[in-house]
Amino acid sequence: MVNITINGKLVQAYEGEMLLAAIRRENIDIPALCHHEAVEPYGACRLCMVEITKNEWDGWKNHVTSCLYPVEEGLIVNTHTPTVIELRKTILDLFLASSPHSTVIKKLAAEYGITRTSYEEVPDSTDCILCGLCTRICDKMGFSAISAVGRGHGKEIAPPLKEPPPDCVGCLSCAYICPTHYIQFTDNGKERTIWGKKFKLLRCEKTGLPTITEEFAAYLIKHREIPEDYFKINDLSHRRELALKMGQITQWGREA
Amino acid sequence: MKARLIVNPNLCTGCRTCELACSFTHMVGGKPGLSRIYPLDGGFKDLYVPVVCLQCEDPACAKSCLVDAITRNPETGAMVLDEQKCVRCMACVAACPFGCSLFDRINNLVVKCDLCDGDPACAHFCPTKALEYKPIEEHILKSTG
Amino acid sequence: MRISTPKQLKELQKKFQDRDNKLAKKIIVCHGPGCLASGAEKIYQEFKKILSEKKITGITLEALKKTGCHGLCEKAPLVAIEPDKILYTHVKERHVVDIIEKTIKKNEIIPELLYVDPQTKEKIVRYPDIKFYSHQTRIALRNLGHINAADIDDYIRVGGYQGMVKAVTKMTPEAIIEEISKSGLRGRGGGGFPTGRKWATCRKVEDDTHYVICNGDEGDPGAFMDRAIMEGDPHSVLEGMIIAAFAVGARDGYIYVREEYPLAVINLQIAIEQAREYGLLGEQIMGTYFSFDIQINRGAGAFVCGESSALMKSVAGEVGEPRAKYIRSVVKGLYDKPTVLNNVETYANVPLIIEKGADWFTGIGVKKNSGTKAFSLVGKVRNTGLIEVPMGTTLREIIYDIGGGLIDGRPFKAVQTGGPSGGCLPDTMLDSPVDFDSLTKAGSMMGSGGMIVMDDRTCMVDVAKYFLSFLVSESCGKCNPCREGLYQLYKLAIKISEGRGEEGDLEKMEKLSDMIILGSLCGLGKSGPNPFLSTVRYFREEYLAHIRDKKCPAGVCRELIRFEINDKCDGCTACLMACAYNAITGSKKQPHVINQELCTHCGACVTVCTRNAIDVF
Repeated sequence: MVNITINGKLVQAYEGEMLLAAIRRENIDIPALCHHEAVEPYGACRLCMVEITKNEWDGWKNHVTSCLYPVEEGLIVNTHTPTVIELRKTILDLFLASSPHSTVIKKLAAEYGITRTSYEEVPDSTDCILCGLCTRICDKMGFSAISAVGRGHGKEIAPPLKEPPPDCVGCLSCAYICPTHYIQFTDNGKERTIWGKKFKLLRCEKTGLPTITEEFAAYLIKHREIPEDYFKINDLSHRRELALKMGQITQWGREA
Repeated sequence: MKARLIVNPNLCTGCRTCELACSFTHMVGGKPGLSRIYPLDGGFKDLYVPVVCLQCEDPACAKSCLVDAITRNPETGAMVLDEQKCVRCMACVAACPFGCSLFDRINNLVVKCDLCDGDPACAHFCPTKALEYKPIEEHILKSTG
Repeated sequence: MRISTPKQLKELQKKFQDRDNKLAKKIIVCHGPGCLASGAEKIYQEFKKILSEKKITGITLEALKKTGCHGLCEKAPLVAIEPDKILYTHVKERHVVDIIEKTIKKNEIIPELLYVDPQTKEKIVRYPDIKFYSHQTRIALRNLGHINAADIDDYIRVGGYQGMVKAVTKMTPEAIIEEISKSGLRGRGGGGFPTGRKWATCRKVEDDTHYVICNGDEGDPGAFMDRAIMEGDPHSVLEGMIIAAFAVGARDGYIYVREEYPLAVINLQIAIEQAREYGLLGEQIMGTYFSFDIQINRGAGAFVCGESSALMKSVAGEVGEPRAKYIRSVVKGLYDKPTVLNNVETYANVPLIIEKGADWFTGIGVKKNSGTKAFSLVGKVRNTGLIEVPMGTTLREIIYDIGGGLIDGRPFKAVQTGGPSGGCLPDTMLDSPVDFDSLTKAGSMMGSGGMIVMDDRTCMVDVAKYFLSFLVSESCGKCNPCREGLYQLYKLAIKISEGRGEEGDLEKMEKLSDMIILGSLCGLGKSGPNPFLSTVRYFREEYLAHIRDKKCPAGVCRELIRFEINDKCDGCTACLMACAYNAITGSKKQPHVINQELCTHCGACVTVCTRNAIDVF
């Protein structure tokens, strides 16, 4: 265990964990839009920045992204200093200029007292805040179907050549993980569309209810060695089948 | 792994106490969550089977999880799903051959039995002991590995 | 042939020197970027043709040499005659016959090709007598303009690989690091981090694999020092890298070169192959157990890939985005292994330090900033080109002595150092020394060594706008403060330059700059607001003139200026023909008039007017 001080309170943190985890365990609310436990920390949104210092640093202070900074013995962390709040306000103000219609951004900015951006609204703005969560989760899952295209202010997230991505299996993880719900998809129970690619959904042979896409199942069968049979019926039918099997065995026991 | 959730359908009366206990133990934001245990019709008169995760040796749920959100708790032996890591891709729900990875539509969560950290509420509240959380004896441990 | 003992290398050097001494004269055709662009290759071919046709005694084809950048790019293409050290400037194909007939055969000078001193109007024969050269001290650029880049023998002739052989056969890794630390060599890529300390930290990290990388991703507008070294003296970079690899215990090295430098890639590749052939790279170098090899990685032209962590990601084949360096890349760099990354110029310095010792190196430059620094001197200065001066040389010496002052003797306004994220320094700072610490203190930075001189016709708001636009499009776009913050800063600069500025805009920009510095992930973002901050620091009045009076004092910002023809106009019609918008009317030998409705303020008329007859308001 490592001893650190968060906002004046002495707390213990696990060796090797990041500051953000320790801070959140203390129920201190600091925003982080590009953070998700499933992927490596990235440090793009800069909202989780905190002030750190140590007694032996002679008053020298540093500002770091807590999602990326590993805990250290004797670290003194302040999550809501005037400078830190000023920085968060500026960042939210900038986000509000680049994604003025995002409800998530508007709500978060309002929490910091900003209702309108003080900057020029970006033309052709989208709700995408380029947090990189979608591309990182796609990489993590092993598909790498989408990635960041371009750089600087013209950067965007897109499949290769902006065509339906050949490597996408339609698992929707990117849409789920998107903090501003920008990634759009359609799903009518038979067919699913995301990134301009159409997927057919597998359906339970017994109930007819949809499960996952054919492509995703094929991937799991091939790369994760899940038997093909498992995907023939859905979870409800699997449970019913198990109940009947166990019922049969029990009945045999009773009869005997 | 020191103990196991043992299901004895012979003793089950289909009272669904386990389902309630599970649901209230796994509250989501102060509201009851989806139960991870299902007392289902066993196909014969007065025969009910509480279907619950078997915590398999070689679990399809963990194998299918591409973000490694399902791992075994070495203390309880339960395959535990880390909600913070889960990205709702539904691979485990589709892959589990016993249908014991479930999707909670109301709370938008994938859920599965985690043996309540070593004190399963279902077994705790089962009035007929059809569900029991019992230590596994040494010889059984050896034979099953 | 493999070189396996120091003695063998000495013998080889002797052999090449003897061969070279037999040549009565050498013709050096500069193949630096500037000269190549002005047709150096054609001149070289012409020389080759005539020399092979004419058979002059004592002058074989060996006497003709392509070299890297000679330095004085302003006067390109350059031809030098050695050993007489004659420099011919602005050489054309038609001069080649003359040079051979007169200078080579009869030792006659061709006066019209000589350099003319801008002050004294005197023609100078020998280039060491030209102020541009005489005020320089060349260490990293030592061989540029003297050796053939594509020939390892030529490099060995001038003492190449002696430092590396000394390091590998006579020194321990610790002793090498000690020597580099003692020399006070600091990273020439811009940060100025002590090289010795970097190597020592890397060596201390216990790991089975260490890497050595050379950063050749020079992306600053107007900078070409590293390019010149890689193109003109690639072996010095390799030698420095081999020494670094031996010191930190690396087996593999990478050179990251911009794709935009094709000649650098070719010459480095040739150099690597030649070094392998001589056993100076590869398995068991110099018969020791030390093995090291180098690969070239080509960057796709992203400015951000010059940042160390982004560069390492790019080498590993990922998207070139920086990462937070709370764990430094010397500890966890390429493929998460301890990695030493240095700039081209830093490596080029290393062999000489090892060969001549740290004391020699600390004798050059000033305290804490030993050695020299190469700059590409560009902008409104008479002698643009590639220079190298001892640390601590003042800006005035560089601009007026080496650079020969400003073009047309116009007043000096500012000098921009450190590339896009550097800053602009005004005339009050002309006497401040050029070293890492002084430049940072003055609000600019050393950067990789671009130096852009600006005259009174440069608008500082426009300069800030230009560099901000560069940074906005070259930001990797990963973190919000850099991507969105710099964009908004750029938009505000445009607002001011277009005359829409309001009171409070400068303060808003300053506050935003502070937040960008505080919040950005990598060094590029943290130095991103510098073009604005340094110009507003020294030229606040000029910003205020744009905001309050809606005037651009330098007459640059289009929306705020007006052109008018005064009575000096003699009706030459030059402006009339230059105007693409037909805004100028008037007949021959009669004063012309500008139609303000049609004028787009492009300034084409001012450029062509030889009578100074167009006023800018």
